[in-house]
Amino acid sequence: MGQDPLVHIDNLSYQYPRAKDLALRDVNLSVRRGEFLGLVGPTGAGKTTLCLALSGVVPQFFGGRFYGQVTVAGLDTVETPISLLAQHVASVFQDPDTQLIANSVQDEIAFALENICLLPEEIRRRIAWAVQAVRLQGLEGKHPSELSGGEKQRLAIAAALALQPEVLVLDEPTSQLDPVGSQEVFATVRELNAELGITVVLASHASEELAGFADRIALLAEGQLVDVDTPRRIFARPDLLSRYATRPPQVAQFYQELARRGMPAPSAPVTLEQATASYEALHEQIQLRLCEFAANMSAASGPPLLSVRGLEHVYPDGTRALQGISLDVQKGEYLAILGQNGAGKTTLVKHFLRLLQPTAGQVLVDGQDVGGFQVSELARRIGFVSQNPDSQIFSSTVEAEVGFALRNLGMNGPALAERVEQSLQTMGLVEHRSEHPLSLSKGDRARVVIAAVLAMQPDILIFDEPTTGQDYRGAQRILDISRELHQAGKTIMVITHHLHLLPGYARRIIVMGKGVILLDAPIRQALHDIPTLSGTFLSPPQIVQFALWLASREQVSLPVLTPEELAACFRSRVGSA
Amino acid sequence: MLPQQGGQRMTWRTIGSLRESPLQRLDVRSKLAFLLATTFLAFLWESPLLTGLLVALILLLCLIAGIRMAYLRQMLRLMLPFYAIVLLTHGFWNTSVGRTAIWAAPQGWWLIGGKLRLTSEGLVYGLMVVFRTLSLILVIPLVIFTTDLNQLIVGLVRIGLPYKVAFTFSATLRFVPLLLEEIGSISEAQRLRGLALEKMNLIKRLQVYARIAVPLILGAMTRSQQLEIVLATRAFCGSPQRTFLQEPRLRGLDYALVVLCLGVSLVALWLRLRTGLGRFVMP
Repeated sequence: MGQDPLVHIDNLSYQYPRAKDLALRDVNLSVRRGEFLGLVGPTGAGKTTLCLALSGVVPQFFGGRFYGQVTVAGLDTVETPISLLAQHVASVFQDPDTQLIANSVQDEIAFALENICLLPEEIRRRIAWAVQAVRLQGLEGKHPSELSGGEKQRLAIAAALALQPEVLVLDEPTSQLDPVGSQEVFATVRELNAELGITVVLASHASEELAGFADRIALLAEGQLVDVDTPRRIFARPDLLSRYATRPPQVAQFYQELARRGMPAPSAPVTLEQATASYEALHEQIQLRLCEFAANMSAASGPPLLSVRGLEHVYPDGTRALQGISLDVQKGEYLAILGQNGAGKTTLVKHFLRLLQPTAGQVLVDGQDVGGFQVSELARRIGFVSQNPDSQIFSSTVEAEVGFALRNLGMNGPALAERVEQSLQTMGLVEHRSEHPLSLSKGDRARVVIAAVLAMQPDILIFDEPTTGQDYRGAQRILDISRELHQAGKTIMVITHHLHLLPGYARRIIVMGKGVILLDAPIRQALHDIPTLSGTFLSPPQIVQFALWLASREQVSLPVLTPEELAACFRSRVGSA
Repeated sequence: MLPQQGGQRMTWRTIGSLRESPLQRLDVRSKLAFLLATTFLAFLWESPLLTGLLVALILLLCLIAGIRMAYLRQMLRLMLPFYAIVLLTHGFWNTSVGRTAIWAAPQGWWLIGGKLRLTSEGLVYGLMVVFRTLSLILVIPLVIFTTDLNQLIVGLVRIGLPYKVAFTFSATLRFVPLLLEEIGSISEAQRLRGLALEKMNLIKRLQVYARIAVPLILGAMTRSQQLEIVLATRAFCGSPQRTFLQEPRLRGLDYALVVLCLGVSLVALWLRLRTGLGRFVMP
């Protein structure tokens, strides 16, 4: 690894055109050749802007006010055209679908090479190299839409990599992927960094992965560089991280919790390997005590609110998306549906609302077949908050948006005003009532959509991937809302692959894989069932993996779900009888 | 609506052609020659029999290419009101061919009594116009669905279109499935908020469609900005010196098709001028 800085950011400040505030403020940062730098920080911290400044898109594409200087491989990013910089800085973005532009894997990789006027023989040579570098061999002729999420992002990396750049800049490349896709992308980036010596700058909310792969972590907040240091030093500062709404890896949280409980906790590990390696030292000071966990699922009683019987669905292209699903949901349950992309989660819940018709089987709500109802009628009883808030916003004020459904249901006058008021209050949106929904932040937009669905007062609420694209605090806020609604008597279903967010919220877990239910169990059992989870390419949260390692080492049962629970299972050796 | 895809993404393949066929292996330029020839013939001929045969030929090719029946049905359903108007206008008012009345307004009817006549020739002429437009409507998806968009760009550049224009054309085509998908998800979200289209009159429905436009346009703008950024970071500058990985090559079959298209067009023109073949005649 060389020591000369490849990327130089000198007193960088930047303001987007028509923006009130600076997006970046006095940022000074150098990246060495061959380094892996992680960028963390809450939404709006300036991570994306910093990534775009490295490729010259900021300010060349957007305009705006740019102060200071950025150089990559000695080239000034303001003066060098983006198309020329592209041969030194490769960019990979968040959305796998918008960044793929060609009709086959090889054409996708060829695109940039054709643009820089390489001859076909050289293009072919580089395609072969790039395909191998990201392990997509054998898929050269495939259409990008036939690839999985992880494969798509690896293709985007290959397409940028083919220009043989020195720096690879990735802006939240895994935020829309399931865990297996996410692992593929991280593994690929790590290999490119370690084996080919490519310098990497990667912005992400995935603390556990960054902790394992990055040489240094830069924490950004409100456009400023708060600190840059090794993962172990950055993630071991809970005060700093919580002030900037950034989540440390769970094993670090465990050590912090030990310290909070007055137990001796030396320097916190940030990866699973570090945690297991440093356990011996920890063990000399603290010891496990017997702890019990109540099975928190009450036995089902009464007729089910929602009942699925032998449900099958075959798509027009012949894909068997659901293969005989049977499921009962009682009133007042909070359940989470897990599974990799394509497991059939969304397809299943769309049948509850008759957005899809079963190929075989039936869905009953309150004992009545949904086949006898219109979508609009079912929507009153089952509120469905789908993935992208922006395609669910049609009105020019928050208030009108929340009242949209009520007017469709024929409500008006004081009754409507009262319901809107109630819904705005529940979601904490009263102050935004006359603003345009699209002028709000992403987290607030998501709450507008929930408020709009909630106004219909449905008995069941379904959230489809509510935490995708939200930072840690935004995700927690949405889940807190779901818990409040659950406590108010609603039946809640959450579709997700963010397993670490579920403890404290969901009680029952349904794991789906390839159109069948693999597991239907209380959360404590489900998150510890590694064979089933890995069967649908999910892995349990880091703390559960650590607890499983501990359990087998100490020959005890440790069905913990959170760092706090695990810390509660220990006591100090000093001072104990 | 198009076939529902649920959790699945929509692409040209899911709405268009699914099968590998000889048509996909043809060069885009020879397919463009075919498109031009059929357009020429559709306008040259006024004979319902010949235009009808032309439609039948294109339909057959569509089936060979594996264009989805659902798509063809959808196109027909959209065009149906237009065809009804064409048939009726020609039936009632085409005085240049209309002779034999099959129905006439009774004398006593105000204004139109005794004057308005529905002629069999007019109806058949209308049918010919329907065939003519049908052949155009069917031949365009036949070419687009069986052509790789990249090949389309290269083909267009090779026949003299600037690269930027060709790229914009193909980028627009690429966005069609994405837009259709977006429309689907917006209208789904509206139904999930109690909107019951099936219970609405036409004016209300139009208002609902107008509401879809706002999120749709905003979404499309965001997407096109993202696309521009992606293109810039992939060294795209629309340079005319740009190279192509797959230089299109005209093969024997392509030459044969171009020659055939040209030959048939010339012969048809000659026959039309010399013998009048293709003139309007009642079958």
